[in-house]
Formats: sequence, C-alpha cells, structure tokens
Amino acid sequence: MKGSVLEIQNLSHSYENGNYTLENIDLVVNRGEIISIIGASGCGKTTLLRIIAGLEKQSKGTIKINQSIASDANFSTPPENRNIGLVVQDRALFPHLTIYENVNFGIRRLPNKIDIPLEYLKLFKVEKLSKKYPHEISGGEQQRVALARSMAPNPNILLLDEPFNALDSRLKSELHNETKKILKEKNSTVIIVSHDIEEAEFFSDKIYKMDNGQLAEISLMTKN
Amino acid sequence: MQKISVIKLWAVIPYLVLAVFVLPILIVISSIFGEWSENWSHIYEYVLFDYIYNSSVLVIGVLFVAFIVGTTSAWLVTNYRFPGKDFLEWALILPLAVPSYILAYTFTGLFDTYGTANTMLRELLNYEEQISLFPNVRNISGAIIVFSFTLYPYVYLVTRSAFLNQSQSMLEAGRLLGLNNIQVFYKIGIPIIRPALIGGLMLVAMETLSDFGAVEHFAIQTFTTGIFRTWYGMYDIQTAMQLASMLLIFIGLFLMLEKYSRQNAKYTTKSSTFKPKKVNTLKGKSALLAFAFCFIPVFVGFILPISELFVWMYSYNMDYFNEKFWETATNTIFLGIISALLCSLFALIINFLIRLDIHNLSRVVSSFLSLGYGVPGLILAVGIVQLFVWLDRYFFTESEIILTGSLIGLIFAYIIKSYALSNSAIESGYERISIVLDESARTLNTGNLRLLSKIHIPLLKTSLLTSTLIVVSEVVKELPATLILRPFNFETLAVSTYIYAAEERMIQASAPAIAIVLVGLIPIIILTKMIRSSSIGRQR
Repeated sequence: MKGSVLEIQNLSHSYENGNYTLENIDLVVNRGEIISIIGASGCGKTTLLRIIAGLEKQSKGTIKINQSIASDANFSTPPENRNIGLVVQDRALFPHLTIYENVNFGIRRLPNKIDIPLEYLKLFKVEKLSKKYPHEISGGEQQRVALARSMAPNPNILLLDEPFNALDSRLKSELHNETKKILKEKNSTVIIVSHDIEEAEFFSDKIYKMDNGQLAEISLMTKN
Repeated sequence: MQKISVIKLWAVIPYLVLAVFVLPILIVISSIFGEWSENWSHIYEYVLFDYIYNSSVLVIGVLFVAFIVGTTSAWLVTNYRFPGKDFLEWALILPLAVPSYILAYTFTGLFDTYGTANTMLRELLNYEEQISLFPNVRNISGAIIVFSFTLYPYVYLVTRSAFLNQSQSMLEAGRLLGLNNIQVFYKIGIPIIRPALIGGLMLVAMETLSDFGAVEHFAIQTFTTGIFRTWYGMYDIQTAMQLASMLLIFIGLFLMLEKYSRQNAKYTTKSSTFKPKKVNTLKGKSALLAFAFCFIPVFVGFILPISELFVWMYSYNMDYFNEKFWETATNTIFLGIISALLCSLFALIINFLIRLDIHNLSRVVSSFLSLGYGVPGLILAVGIVQLFVWLDRYFFTESEIILTGSLIGLIFAYIIKSYALSNSAIESGYERISIVLDESARTLNTGNLRLLSKIHIPLLKTSLLTSTLIVVSEVVKELPATLILRPFNFETLAVSTYIYAAEERMIQASAPAIAIVLVGLIPIIILTKMIRSSSIGRQR
C-alpha cells in the first residue's frame, strides 16, 4: 500500500507449547499516523510490538517496513537494522551513560549528530539534565529522556509500550500533552500499546482492540 | 519464545573453545585404552594399594575435620554474638590465601625437632636435651590437619551463606518442639543445608586429591605423587596417564556429586514466610568457647604460617628479597595477568553468547569448562604435554620443539583451571544487567559488538576486575601444573617455594611464600566485602 510505513500481513505467533498468542493479524500504519492498541493484560499487545521491533520472530506472516520485507517465514532483519524506536514502561536507560550520552547512543550514523541530542533534550525539556546520570533524575524526567532517546535517531516507526504507566496522574497528563505535540510536530509514525482507553483516544488517529490474539479496529469515542 | 540469531559467526566460538579445552583431558583418558606396561604391573603389585589407601584416608579425614570446623564456625558466627565475632566472621576465610603446600612447609618448620616451636618450647622449659616436644607432623595425620585448616573455608563459606538463608521460624519451631541449641544445630540447621554442605565438602575433597606439594613434602604416597614419580622417576608417561585416569575417575565422582548438590541448592533458599535471623548474645564461658572454636582455625590456618614466614624473613634481614626473587615475582605476575585476562575474555564471550541465546551449546560449554576447576593441575599438565608433543611433531620437524615447554602450555592449563572462577564472577555480573537494556540498545541501531563494548563491558567493569584478580591469585598459587609445564629455567613464586622447600631451605622459601600469601589475600578482600554487604543486607 502506497504511503504505508508498516504493513503486517497474516501474522501469527505461537509459543513453544503451540498455543497461539497472535492469530492472523493484518495491520497497516501510514506515515505520520498514530495508532493505539488496547486490550487486557497478556492478550499479546507487547508481543506484537516486540515482533515489529524484531526482538522476537513471528511463527508466520510478513512484516514490511517502508514497503520492504523486514521479516517473513525465511528471513528476518535484525532489530538494529530496522530503525524502529521502542519505549518501554521501565525506560531502560543505560545506567553508566549520562543523559546526553543516552540520547546520543542511537544516532551515531546520522549527520549533525552533535546537535540532534540537544534538540530532543530541549523538546522534552530535559536539556539541563544532560550531564546527569539516570539515577540522579526523577521518574518523569527519565521517561522524557527515554522518549527523546527513541525519537532522536528519526525512526521509521516509534513503538510505545505503556510508556506513561508508571507516572502519577498529574505528570502523566503533562507528559501526554507535550508528547503528542512533539509527535505531531515531527510527523512521527507511532504505535502505542495501552490498557487505558482515554490515553488511546487522546493520542490516536485509529484505535485497535486486541482480543484472543486477534486485532480489530474500533471507532473512536467507543469506550468498550 | 524463539529469539533472533544475528551473526552466525558467533555461534562457531563455543565449538572451538570446547574442542580445544577438552583435548588434554581426552588424551589422558584415552591412555586407558593403550598398552599397560611392566611399570604398571610394578605399581599395581607394590604401590597402588598405598595410593588408594592413603588418598582415601586423607580425603575422609580432611572431610571430617573440615565439616566440623567449617559448619560449626559458620553456625556460631551466623547465630550468635560474642567477643571478636565481627573480626572472626571474615577472618575465618583468611586461610584460603595460604596454599596447602605453604602450610605444610611452615608446619615442618615449626614442629620438626629443630623447628621454631620446638626450640622455643625447649628454651621456655629449660630443656637441654634435643628432643621433640611436639608430635611428628610428617605423616598422614599432619597432612589431614594441613588440608583441613586450609580448605575448611570452602565449607564455611557455603554453609554460612546457607545458614543466613535459613528462616528463624524453622529454628524457633525446633526449640518449641523441645530441642536445645546444640540439637537445633545438628537436627535442623545441618540437615536443611545438606545440598550446599555437600557442594562445599566435594570442593574440599577435590582440592585434597589434586594436591601435590603438601603430600610430597610429607612424603605420603598418593595418586598425585605416584603420577609425578612414574613420569619423572620411571620416565613412563603412558603409565602416569593411566594413573591420572584413575584419579580422574575419583575426581569425576566428586564433581558429579558437587554438581548434583548444587542443582538441589534451592532446597535452602528462603520462602515467602522467611523470617530473618535473630542473633543471640553469648556470655561468659559460652562466649569464650565460641571465640576459641572460631579463632583456632584462623590461628592454625593463617596466623601460625604467616608468623613463621615472617620470622624466617626477618631472621635473614630480608636478604632473600633479592634480584632473583623480583625476577620470579615478575614472571608470576606476568603469567597471572595474561592468564587472567584471557580467562576473563573467554568467560565474557561465552556468557555473552549465552545472553544472545544463539543456541544452548554455549550454556553446555560453560558448565563443562567450569568443571576444569576440579581437574588436578598435574593431570592437566600430563594431557597438555602429550597434546603439545603431538602438535610439535605434526606441524613442525622432529627437531623443532615450539609448543612443548613453552609458556603457551602453562597459560592454557591456567585458563582451564581458572575458567570456573572467571565464569562465576561474570555470570553474576550479567545477572544484574536487565535484558531490557539489550533490547533498547538493539532498537537504537546496536549490533552485537557494539552491545558488548558499549553496554555490557562498562556495566561488567567490577565483575571483570574481580574475575581478573581472582584468577591472578589462583595462578600465583598453582604448583603442580607449573612445575611440569614451565619452560626450562623459568621459575614462578610457587615453583621457587617448592624448590627451596624440597631442599629443606625453608628460610629461602619464605620470600616467595609470603608473596604468594599476599597475592592470595586479594580474593579474600573481595569475598570479605561481599560477606560484609550480605551481612548489612540482612540487618536491614
């Protein structure tokens, strides 16, 4: 499909015991689109993100990124070559690197690499923390840094796995607004996994619900 | 879940490492299928029974004493507070820094008729007759004491850690059911930690069977002295290898028991109903007895030999810290550092492959290589010499001796012997690095090499340093493999100590012996820090 950044065709995934966790998933995400996947815990949302990122291999089906096959039954592009950003709930900042070095970590192949980390640190209002280490900053600040780090390499697609889950409601709301503004400003293509329908509606152009390993689009403003 | 393998090249490494490391041991075992010479008939007829009898008596005696000393001292410092407890808690591991052969040398230096202790006591009692006031230590009982008091820390360390994990509730239940303090110890405390205890005792058994220096000094005929004499006395390497194979079978049994006991170690881990230890305060006679029981092993295994070494050293104004000593020390440190770096590198690569989860072989290779710790240095040396002789003949001309007698063989033996130590340091370091960090790095355009160099190595800095220091101290102490594999005229501190002691020049032996003990203290300091942090953790 023209303009699509991510195209998933007939993707299924099973565990070693043969039980399917994902079944015949079809999904297209266009450039600049933000979609959300909601569903109960353990329904396979995170597994789908990990498969898209290349951290796990699907049992069958095809994943195309920018119209090229990233993974099918015989072939799989390693995660480091997919240019996909991933933010997880526990942030996974590298504890031995400063905030600047964390954000700089993924952008070594880009030109003007000195300016890029600073640009993203400013966007997420954490530029003053650039010389600090992750353990020296708060949880909310760590989440801003994690978002900055994943966006700095200008990924084809950004995967956010319950990124605001560990934050209190005031911080969450503040970060929601800022993040959405930045994502739209940068025309980022994003998949957000969440169990919070309001968060999904706030961010997304489309919402999908995952149930029994199957994905179905639901209309916005539908809260069940 | 199936994970993605990225660079297949990495997958070849475990096969190569396994093949190279297993060869020397396979060569030794293959001797069983070779010819059995006349020398074997001689050994079988006249000395084999002595080897088996002496080795068995030695192992049983050492296991008994190490069990009593190790478990009781661990129980006392874990469950009771008494004067000197904080000092003894870590001092009880100090004898690990003293190799058995050095304790044996100082024992004879102290208790022989003209030894320091005998002379001092005679002077004290105004005895003019030159008689020995202490029993002869150059026998199997002396050897049992020497091994027990240098090796009990293996039992102490594992049992102490297991006792710390015992819930107070279980011990209290025992008291409520009518047991007194001593009964709680042997009816509840000991049975619960049985798997860990067996693991510790098996290490003691393996170390005892592997030793060469102490039994040689006490002139006790065991497998190791037999192997050495068959090779260097009869010049019959085939029979020496056959004897080594027999010893390897014994060691293999202990290794299997040790592995098996470790698999069951979770038997002792804490449950959700865990209640931390309540430390009781001992007073009066009980406190004195507890102090004496814990102090005696430290005294015999560390204070006594160190004091004797210092007496020897000062009585000659430290003349033996001469040019030759520094040359020997440089050789040793050079070998230690090279081996430690290579060993840490191997352990790092194998653990990295396990982390990548390319295939299960890396895990199998790592457990297999860890068994190298139990293989006696003497057996490794025999296997390596045979392997290198064959390689020299195959790749070079008959007259060229490139590998045999080179430092490569020595370093090779040290790596096999010390891999387990490196592995445990690096494995525990890896356990502390969340897999989420790897995944984040992957999505940030990071391949295997960059993941290793930019994320894992910086985060494993402490583990790598620990691994390097522990291996250096192990290499410095290693005697039998060094004695056989060293290049001509190349001496290390251990070899130098052995040569002086063999010539009964104990005073000259003091300089290298002190250096060995000082280097041996490095891992003790590391262990002490770990013990301190575990104690602090418990108190919180």
